[in-house]
Amino acid sequence: MTLHRRSFVQSTLASGLLLGAAPRIHAANKAKKYRTALIGSGWWGMNILKEAMAAGNCTVVALADVDQDVLDLAAEKVTELSSDNPKTYQDVRELIDKEQIDIAIIATPDHWHALNAISAIGAGAHVFVEKPTGHTIVESRAMLNAARAADRTVQVGLHRRIGPHYVSGMKFLKDGNAGDIGAVRMFVHSGGGKEKPTANSKPPETLDWDMYCGPAPLRPYCRKIHPGGFRNFLDFANGTLGDWGVHWLDQVLWWSDEKYPKKIFSTGSRTISGEAILNEKEQTTDAPDAQIAVYEFESFTATWEHRKFAGNSAEQHSIGCYFYGTKGTFHMGWRDGWTFHPADTKQPVVHQDAQHSEPDGHSIKLLWADFIAAIESGKRPTCDIEIGHNATNMSLLGMLSFKLGRSIEWDGAKEKIIGDEEANKLLRREYRGPWKYPSA
Amino acid sequence: MFKKPACAIFLCILTNLFASVRADDWPARRGPTSDGISKESEWLAQWPSSGPTIRWRTNVGTGFSSIATQGDRLYTLGNVDDQESIHCLDTETGKSIWQHTYDCALDDRFFEGGPTSTPTIDGDCVYSLSRQGDLFCCDKNSGKVVWAKNVAEKTSTRIPGWGFSSSPVILNQQLLLGVGDAGLLLNKTDGEIVWQSGDGEAGYMSPQVVQINDRPHALIASGKFYQCVDLENGEVKWKHRWLTTYGCNAADPIVSMNKVFISSGYGRGAAVLEFTDTDAKVVWAHKELQNQMNSSVLLNGYLFGFDGNEGGEVELKCVEFATGKVIWSFAGLGAGSLMSADGKLIVLSETGELLIAPALSTEFNPTARAKALDGKCWTVPVLSNKSIYCRNAAGDLVCVDVQISKAK
Repeated sequence: MTLHRRSFVQSTLASGLLLGAAPRIHAANKAKKYRTALIGSGWWGMNILKEAMAAGNCTVVALADVDQDVLDLAAEKVTELSSDNPKTYQDVRELIDKEQIDIAIIATPDHWHALNAISAIGAGAHVFVEKPTGHTIVESRAMLNAARAADRTVQVGLHRRIGPHYVSGMKFLKDGNAGDIGAVRMFVHSGGGKEKPTANSKPPETLDWDMYCGPAPLRPYCRKIHPGGFRNFLDFANGTLGDWGVHWLDQVLWWSDEKYPKKIFSTGSRTISGEAILNEKEQTTDAPDAQIAVYEFESFTATWEHRKFAGNSAEQHSIGCYFYGTKGTFHMGWRDGWTFHPADTKQPVVHQDAQHSEPDGHSIKLLWADFIAAIESGKRPTCDIEIGHNATNMSLLGMLSFKLGRSIEWDGAKEKIIGDEEANKLLRREYRGPWKYPSA
Repeated sequence: MFKKPACAIFLCILTNLFASVRADDWPARRGPTSDGISKESEWLAQWPSSGPTIRWRTNVGTGFSSIATQGDRLYTLGNVDDQESIHCLDTETGKSIWQHTYDCALDDRFFEGGPTSTPTIDGDCVYSLSRQGDLFCCDKNSGKVVWAKNVAEKTSTRIPGWGFSSSPVILNQQLLLGVGDAGLLLNKTDGEIVWQSGDGEAGYMSPQVVQINDRPHALIASGKFYQCVDLENGEVKWKHRWLTTYGCNAADPIVSMNKVFISSGYGRGAAVLEFTDTDAKVVWAHKELQNQMNSSVLLNGYLFGFDGNEGGEVELKCVEFATGKVIWSFAGLGAGSLMSADGKLIVLSETGELLIAPALSTEFNPTARAKALDGKCWTVPVLSNKSIYCRNAAGDLVCVDVQISKAK
């Protein structure tokens, strides 16, 4: 299996290099080292950067983070792993102005993705941005338009489109081995319980909290948000649907070759975790602890569900996507690989193990190689910004319906909600202070 | 003005803190000598193929609090439905003698939550600290609260990301906690504050007390430094930058004469510092013994401890204290924990297997191993008075009988 993966990487790289003979900016020099900056230098950003460094085609020239401690740790790690000596910036604007970067890796919380990606593209950089693309739909569209206008490569961190078992599982499905698929169910379940509020406190002295909040509302700091907790605060992200959801929604788009659903309904609650609290003294998260979303496409309907309680592994899988077909049920999973349960129970179960990079079970190595190959060939990368945009939109439309409490009809070509002006207002949001909402 | 030469400095760990305890009691998290080492001997280190006898099982609620014992009583903490309890159990039966319960959030942020510190027994009292800063002094026999206060509120100190984790350290009439950026000292009889440190993020270790020039000091980690604090006034005498992701400096420092071993996970690594009361310098530092949560033990010049982060590759290692040289590694136990007694290692694997092995610098060769628990085990096992207590995250607590049977 290792051999197989290596040969896959090499062939991807080789094709990239061959096509790279075309007259692109970075194509001529095989030893080209891209001046690379990491924006958002925490846990996941460093996972990406480490894979980028291991690939041997970048020089890490700069790191940005609003937390000086996070920056110092990241810089130390880079110098430990390489001879690079990156400059560190607490203000990303300064980095973009000074560093003349070829590549920006963006791994901030979601609410910063669009501003950072658009300014990096504006400075001539190619971008590797974590999913989701935007925090609201028009931000995401603005990222896509900026990438196209400047002819820059933008890869979105949807590594589940390139990881070996996802690729082989999708081929298994597309080859018709599960028969005609009539329904798809996506889900992510975990444990949890009631949430007590956490006291607000002074932010750590090394954290620029105003800059952390950036274009989002300036709320009181609380240790539950940073480090590592932003996903369940809707000012900064979109809960589980806007996190895990994007990966599995993308699997559905990949399988179906659809770009968008036509009707969306979502409902959810915080029945177990309790009412969201935000006051001067304390706060809780505010994302739903259980949510269902229904996506109606032209020829099929897909559902999403998540819950953050009753995490007792009563069901066979707690994460992934079931494709229900005339020949059986196919489960695309994460660490549990994929499994096909034939409708004819006399037939054997078909299974393939997952192959991931550790820690944290991902396929960034492949995605990075694909990104570099795309830059050098001028072809679109596997998880191009448009693919990321479509998958992100699915999650954001689900959140939009959840917030409105009603179903919406989506005109995917115009990216407008049909006949619902209140809903259309939620395609964007007000930015705070000096930050300007990007125009699409 | 003159400087004392370094060789004139006399250091020793305070070993007489628990003068009243019986030999094989375990009155605080790292035992009577605060080093994870018990003097208990003549306990059963080899088991029949059927495994050792389980004397009793009970549940004390979610959490990672270890066990303190005295005579036929044991003390620990656990959380059920956002209520935390200080438990006093009968060591013979596991039955509850008393429990004191108070509101306290489970705070299950990226882990199961619940308490992470261990009660400390001193005199007639048992002291305990919750992750939210609730400090209790209870009568150890009745459970009656002698005094209580929330130290986060009283000192206006921020609660670190994963809550306070320091176990109380008793020093004569005073009580020391790893709260604030360089500790908090209180009067143990009434909880009055003697001194407090700055409102910085505390580490997750418990302070270690050392005498330097006949003056008591403590080695205390914040989220960013290991530092030496003069216990008379709280003054920070030196600080050694030790920046760790999430401020997670969780393993206790281990002192040997004028040297101290420090270690953290998340890619930080380990070091031995040579220190005086004014400064510390690095003897060696590397990344090959990363104690993410549980501390190592130091025996005969060798450190034994777990290297690596839970969920990743974790190995039990033996490392030479003087040089940092890795002597051996043993994989397959997950993010486990250990203590030592009578020249042996008592190890609990992450999945609940209990192992006994001689603490050798040549190899790890268990003489006994048996499944003690299911579920996640990140809490260090405790040998005391011929029983080994093992606890998992869900709060299942088992008493493993290691009494050597009399001849029949």
